[in-house]
Amino acid sequence: MSETENQAVEPQVKETAGSQIQKMKQRLSDPIIDFIDADKSGKTDMLGKIFLLVPAFASTLIIILILAFLWIEATPIFTDPAGGPGIIISPTWDPNRDLYGISVFIIGSLFCTMIAIGLAVPLGIGGAIFLSEFCPMRLRQPIKMITEMMAAIPSIVYGLWAYVVMVPFIKNVLAPGLQSNPLTAWMPWFQGDTNGLSLLAGGVILAIMLLPTIVTIANDALQTVPRNLREASLALGATQSETARKIVISAALPGVGAAVVLALGRAVGETMAVLLVTGNSLQIPYTLFDPTYVMTSIITNQLGYAFVFPLWRSALFAIGLVLMIMSICFTLTAKMFVRWGMKTRGYI
Amino acid sequence: MASRKDALLTYLSAVTQSRRHFTDFLFKVILAIVIMIVVSPFFLVLIQVASIGFGQIFGIGPGIGLEFFTTFPGVGLEGGIRNALVGTVELIALASSVGIPLSVFGAVYITEYTQPGWTRAIVEFASDVLAGIPSIVFGAFGFAFLVDFLHLGMGLVAGSLTLAFMMIPTVLRTTQEALRAVPMSLREASLALGATKWSTTWNVTLRAAFPGLITGVLLAIGRVMGETAPLIFTAGNSLSVPTELTGSGSWVASMPYTIWAYISDPREYLQVKAHGTALALMIMVLTVDVVANIISRKVTRRLV
Repeated sequence: MSETENQAVEPQVKETAGSQIQKMKQRLSDPIIDFIDADKSGKTDMLGKIFLLVPAFASTLIIILILAFLWIEATPIFTDPAGGPGIIISPTWDPNRDLYGISVFIIGSLFCTMIAIGLAVPLGIGGAIFLSEFCPMRLRQPIKMITEMMAAIPSIVYGLWAYVVMVPFIKNVLAPGLQSNPLTAWMPWFQGDTNGLSLLAGGVILAIMLLPTIVTIANDALQTVPRNLREASLALGATQSETARKIVISAALPGVGAAVVLALGRAVGETMAVLLVTGNSLQIPYTLFDPTYVMTSIITNQLGYAFVFPLWRSALFAIGLVLMIMSICFTLTAKMFVRWGMKTRGYI
Repeated sequence: MASRKDALLTYLSAVTQSRRHFTDFLFKVILAIVIMIVVSPFFLVLIQVASIGFGQIFGIGPGIGLEFFTTFPGVGLEGGIRNALVGTVELIALASSVGIPLSVFGAVYITEYTQPGWTRAIVEFASDVLAGIPSIVFGAFGFAFLVDFLHLGMGLVAGSLTLAFMMIPTVLRTTQEALRAVPMSLREASLALGATKWSTTWNVTLRAAFPGLITGVLLAIGRVMGETAPLIFTAGNSLSVPTELTGSGSWVASMPYTIWAYISDPREYLQVKAHGTALALMIMVLTVDVVANIISRKVTRRLV
């Protein structure tokens, strides 16, 4: 029984194998014949589809090009005996002595980002809760509009404001006030002389720039929480604030998480405002009033002079590569949060 | 008047009747203060920039008002900012003419011509990553790839191509959203009348998605208009307008770069000019942003 079946099948297989080339030929020639037979609008249709393929992959191509060029440019420092992968943890940056440790910039960036996130996340999420849960209808649209406009203000304008207003304020009011007040004067993080250009100024201006991002995204996440969850909680006798704190926030947690991660990515990559106010001094900051140097600033300040020195330039591109990898990680994490959110709602 | 007072008293007695109600009240008050803190920087920045810059761009007199925008900086940078204004407009025009078609066609291809699957996932992921890349990395990339590797040299072309790369994710994602919002019945009606996919896409789908597309384009223009970091190593700076497409004659100034250069300069009168430029830039960016918002709001109202 099975043998006959096999015999019956085999010739068929051979036939298909024989006609494989025929089919391939047909598959190749069919579009061409179709194209020749088609009228004018049919021809445009077919050509258009091919023509659209190129821009569709432009963004992918640019990502690959960016990674490739950063990698190629950063290779010399990683293979050179003066550099090597150790530069990531080495603290001394002195191009004149061929010392290219970039950890001082990584630490500066991390400290600045930590201050910014620490200030912006509670404020931003609080603002988003107010906007979506308690805000009077009349005020909602104007506040939303203002946060959108805050997100649109160029970073150099924030930098200008911080440089002209905030830095003198820290120098003349905040630092003397905190250091002469017996309640705060002993705290180690308030020590040191300052000219206002400091870690604190960078962190605060970054926090201000992150607020609109966090408020907008977190507000969107809170608004998509189903109404019946709120109603169920209120019907059980919870007050409005208990509903907001315990029910709405936990239902919107993935969206809020995505907002925080996206803000984190923006904080690490922010350039102009931080460059103007952090003082750009090559030291690890020990107090809030110490100047610091972040990753984006060192590229902005030195790439212009460094491009004729291969190792120096390569070290700067290595910092760029670190920034790029960090931003890809943040994007991936944010995507994971969004996926988690879709899962909890049962979309996927 | 009396009724309002009564209502207030009733409310106060309601919130103080138990600890839970008082916590509720306190929570709301704290959040109201928080939202005021959140929006206050907008006004602080606006007031600071406007109080110094207003006279510079709206006043009447030599070197201020309209003359601020129509004269070149000249010796000692004592003139206006015509170089920066023209430079920004030229950079944005060139960047848009490259970046917008690229991203709109890309969005059309992946929403209209592909099925959901790995092609679409790759393009969407790439544009999300592109949106998150720090602007200085774009600048360094533009310097390494366009200026150095392709030998374009610093100037108008390299600068605007770098900006065009930065426009792609915003325009692509918003166009995609707009195309998705177009009802399937419109496409089906057009196809049923015998139109090809191509003419359906261009004459029906894109026309229906046009307002959403314009929103994305305006948002992207508003974003790149204020970018400084990508231009430092790709566009250079200049005290006049570019006269050539390549070489040192194509170096071009931009408004954000001018603000940066003026604010880092110790000369007192340049600080005032920096504020004037910043106010002008803010007005341009916010106008573009508000127009984009109005269009997108109109569209959502029409669709819903």
